[in-house]
Amino acid sequence: MDWSFFAQLLLNGLVMGVIYALVAMGLSLIFGVLEIVNFAHGEFYMLASMLAYFLTAQWGFDYWATILVVTVVGVAVGYVLFEGLLLALRGETFERSILLTMGLSMVLQNGAVFLFTTNPHLLESKLSYQNIVVGDFRMPVARLYALGLGFAAFAVLYLILHRTRVGKAMRGVAQNRAAADMVGIDARAVSRLAVAIGIGLTGLAGAALAPVYAVHPLMGFNFVFKAFAIIIIGGLGNISGAAIAAVMLGVIESLAGGLLPLALTDAVAFLSMIAVLLLRPQGLFGRGVRV
Amino acid sequence: MNCLRLAFGSILIALVASTAAAQSPIVIGASTPLTGPVSHYGQHARWGAEMAVAEANAKGGVNGRKIEIDFQDNRCNPAEAVKSVTQMLSSKKYAAIFDGLCSSAALAIMPLVERANVPFIIANASATSIAEKSGVGGNKWTFKVNPTDASMLDALVAWLDKEGKADNIAFLGEDTDYGRAGSAGFESALVKRGKKLVMADYSQKGTADYTAVLTKIKANKPGMVAFYLIDADFQNGIKQWFTMGGGIPLTGRVLVEQVPKEILASGFLDGTISVQPYDVSVDTPANKAFVEAFTKRNSEAPMLISFESYETTNILIDAIRQSGDASPEKIRDALTGTKYQSMLGPVLEFDKNNLIHNNAIIFGIKGGKVVILGMSKT
Repeated sequence: MDWSFFAQLLLNGLVMGVIYALVAMGLSLIFGVLEIVNFAHGEFYMLASMLAYFLTAQWGFDYWATILVVTVVGVAVGYVLFEGLLLALRGETFERSILLTMGLSMVLQNGAVFLFTTNPHLLESKLSYQNIVVGDFRMPVARLYALGLGFAAFAVLYLILHRTRVGKAMRGVAQNRAAADMVGIDARAVSRLAVAIGIGLTGLAGAALAPVYAVHPLMGFNFVFKAFAIIIIGGLGNISGAAIAAVMLGVIESLAGGLLPLALTDAVAFLSMIAVLLLRPQGLFGRGVRV
Repeated sequence: MNCLRLAFGSILIALVASTAAAQSPIVIGASTPLTGPVSHYGQHARWGAEMAVAEANAKGGVNGRKIEIDFQDNRCNPAEAVKSVTQMLSSKKYAAIFDGLCSSAALAIMPLVERANVPFIIANASATSIAEKSGVGGNKWTFKVNPTDASMLDALVAWLDKEGKADNIAFLGEDTDYGRAGSAGFESALVKRGKKLVMADYSQKGTADYTAVLTKIKANKPGMVAFYLIDADFQNGIKQWFTMGGGIPLTGRVLVEQVPKEILASGFLDGTISVQPYDVSVDTPANKAFVEAFTKRNSEAPMLISFESYETTNILIDAIRQSGDASPEKIRDALTGTKYQSMLGPVLEFDKNNLIHNNAIIFGIKGGKVVILGMSKT
């Protein structure tokens, strides 16, 4: 084992972490503003990947057009999801939101199985098999694009939340919905936008990762559980915390997978979550003020 | 006069009852994954079995009775398999139980059929432990038609050893009975020849990212890598191996039909030597006829699973025919005396572990194309 082995593991882990962050940030945003844990998040990621697959493989869209279309569709689906389902939960119990999103997850997953079968599809574009090779290091171009999109998505989201009026309104609603109402913030519009951005981010993740992983209706399940661990480690509702926790987890998992038996990598993720819950229940970066 | 009427009535009732019994169909119960991650294989298992049943019925059925096969879903999950087979066995209408497809599901079904005294015939599950637990001294109601991983891997390792390629093999498999049986089969075949696996690792089913473990395997510089992954896991593994520039040929049970065309055609996998119980290109008249009929019927070419299900169902139908009255015990006895001409050449018979030893096919990849290197007895 030479240094290039560890460096390759670190590089793989960094890319993996940013891929996790793409999925986790949307989940964290929705929880931060609405206090709803979206158990259907993995299925939206799966549907986005399926859409990206069909746009590219069946209709000949190029990579960037696919990213754009799927992200826009994700935003639109987020609007519909909020107005059609999540709005009905206003003022209702946390448990009902879990049951509703779990039910939605099952409907979406089984609907996709019914429509597309469980056959995996590989997106066979030029991008899928291109690599950048520098000395002993290799990195698939599709992963590097996902890495870039992950950083860009985080930067844009950060700027929206911290440098725009609508971002400040989101943070206001997240901190104290009643107070936000009193100062004239339209909590419904802000919540709707948060869900739209959250699902849009998931759409971006699904489209960016379609050339990286096999696309099939059961692909969302594993990712979303990892995303839950990440947002708990990062601090529920804390987007920066989720992004940092995702990268940390990606690197730790990659090192664990390279140095320990592979079966222990998931154990590492969930042991980290348990340790954080025991030692720092508000998460590593939880500050009491979300989003 | 009343006595005469009673006698006529009784005879009439007996005649009607016996005619109805003669015409009622013989029902085979089948538990296979019709939904879930391997439902595509479950569909092929169903197509293969249904084609054999349709052919038998087209020839007038068995002993004057039609055959029916009733498929229930087990999602490749042992608990679901137990649920579906328990329901079938409690209804007492099934003459035999067919398959399970996944090794874990088949292993879970075995004690149920043993308690119920109903024959269980396995077409696809490959775990070696199924045969180890069956036949003399074990479960007398379970019969396995496809070769075990151990027997196939023994044939493969013998081939590799002959070519001087068995010294440095790494193993990556899913953490299921299938994957574990694969590594155990390799270990045992290698130990017989004074060798061992250089490393073995297992992934959870549904794993999407293999970059860490593939980096580890590449750093260990093995001569060959055995992948025991299925479906999306296999496709993710093979694609990531390619994009990492693995540069090491594969061995084990390589699912060549699932390798993306670009990867295969690039020559990246040249030097791969694999074993499978079947390939559509096997050049026998019976196989050619099977491939043509199957493709016409299902608009899709058969695969290993469909072939195994077709031959296994034919073996079961033969045993039902031999049994006469289709009672479970007589079907079991008839199965032990099976002599069936396989499409792959040999006449198949069950051994003392109720296991059949058909030929295994040794494949290679050369110049970006799959070629059959030869057949080897399992």
